[in-house]
Amino acid sequence: MRNSSPPSPVSSISERADARASFTALFESLRPDLLRFAQWLARDRALAEDIVQEALLRAWRSRAALKDPSAARAWLLTIVRREHARLYERKRLELVSLDEAAEIPDSAPAAGADGELVMLRHAIMRLPLEYREPLVLQVLGGFSTEEIARELELTATAVLTRLFRARNKLRALCGVTASGVATPGEPA
Amino acid sequence: MTCEEARLLIGADPETLTPALEEHLRSCAACRALRADMLRLNAALRRALAEPPSLRAARTSRSAAPPPWRQWALAASVVLAIVAALGVWVLRPSDTLASEVVAHVQGEPQSWFATHNVSAGAIDHALKNSGIGLDVSSDKIMYAESCWFRGHYVPHLVLETEHGPATVLILRHEHVRALDHFHESGMTGVIVPSGEGSIAVLERGGGRVDELAGKLRQQVHWLPEPDDHSQSKDHP
Repeated sequence: MRNSSPPSPVSSISERADARASFTALFESLRPDLLRFAQWLARDRALAEDIVQEALLRAWRSRAALKDPSAARAWLLTIVRREHARLYERKRLELVSLDEAAEIPDSAPAAGADGELVMLRHAIMRLPLEYREPLVLQVLGGFSTEEIARELELTATAVLTRLFRARNKLRALCGVTASGVATPGEPA
Repeated sequence: MTCEEARLLIGADPETLTPALEEHLRSCAACRALRADMLRLNAALRRALAEPPSLRAARTSRSAAPPPWRQWALAASVVLAIVAALGVWVLRPSDTLASEVVAHVQGEPQSWFATHNVSAGAIDHALKNSGIGLDVSSDKIMYAESCWFRGHYVPHLVLETEHGPATVLILRHEHVRALDHFHESGMTGVIVPSGEGSIAVLERGGGRVDELAGKLRQQVHWLPEPDDHSQSKDHP
């Protein structure tokens, strides 16, 4: 048997400090992404900041569960989503309405690509959470249908249905197709 | 793969191509055009979500109280709106109910193709919003969603029958005086009065909807309605 000397206490402390520093750096680098994600879910900037703060605390406490740093973004987005769900369940009656939350332009948005983008962003905000959540998870989070189904505790068919409805509602709410041709509103 | 199946996949996830969808697209110009459209929408979605939404920094406190005349004007406009809505509600032709049921089912083509039983939790979710109980064995339910229909969340189910899938919408707030049969857009259906509302049953092609509707009248239980839950949901 080979003799191996025990790690020196100094190097152990130093490694732990390095690990903490790298976690902190990782979390901070992902924070803007998490905040944007939380804002699209919560539709309230202050609430989103609280959610991200709480999610990062939870993530820090359970950082040992993150084995692969390349999976950190998806892991943290999941924690943010759950934190939002917890808050939504706890405070659903207190959450702000869209009209209180969003800065809706008084005048019609500018014509052209920018105007359409403003309309689309507003239409996303008007989507009910049950449609907005899987859509944001898919488009912003990059989650697959199966991953969303697991996260939301739905069947894959139900997720497909919600995503299908979400896009149809967006087209109806915007009143335009993706190619810019006006379409009649789809019945809910 | 049929166009209905393809449209579901394209609408849900335009960027993913399965071999079956790819094969379908080779021979279907309409679905190819839809996919091109949806890909453009997806690109726009990415751009839209790339920035945080425009939000107020915090919930603002109410600014100065509005003048009293404004409250009276608001109250008057609410009363007028209610009267107008009631007028439209009372005067609308009853035969549009069948058309709207068909349009709703057409809007969810994927519902016909569910191949797995849905979980008890999903069935419960679909029913509980409307205060409905159902005796049907859960292994016959292939699809269960709580759908927004005429201002309320209603259970939308697909049941596996001996003759193929049948769609059922349990319409607590829609009242019909007698059986209302209809054939529309390749679907055969009936709306039957039941308990506190009505039940719509649809099958594709020439179905035996009366038989199933008769059974469902016995199997559906109208529980106390939740506290106007459907109206309070955030819905455009």
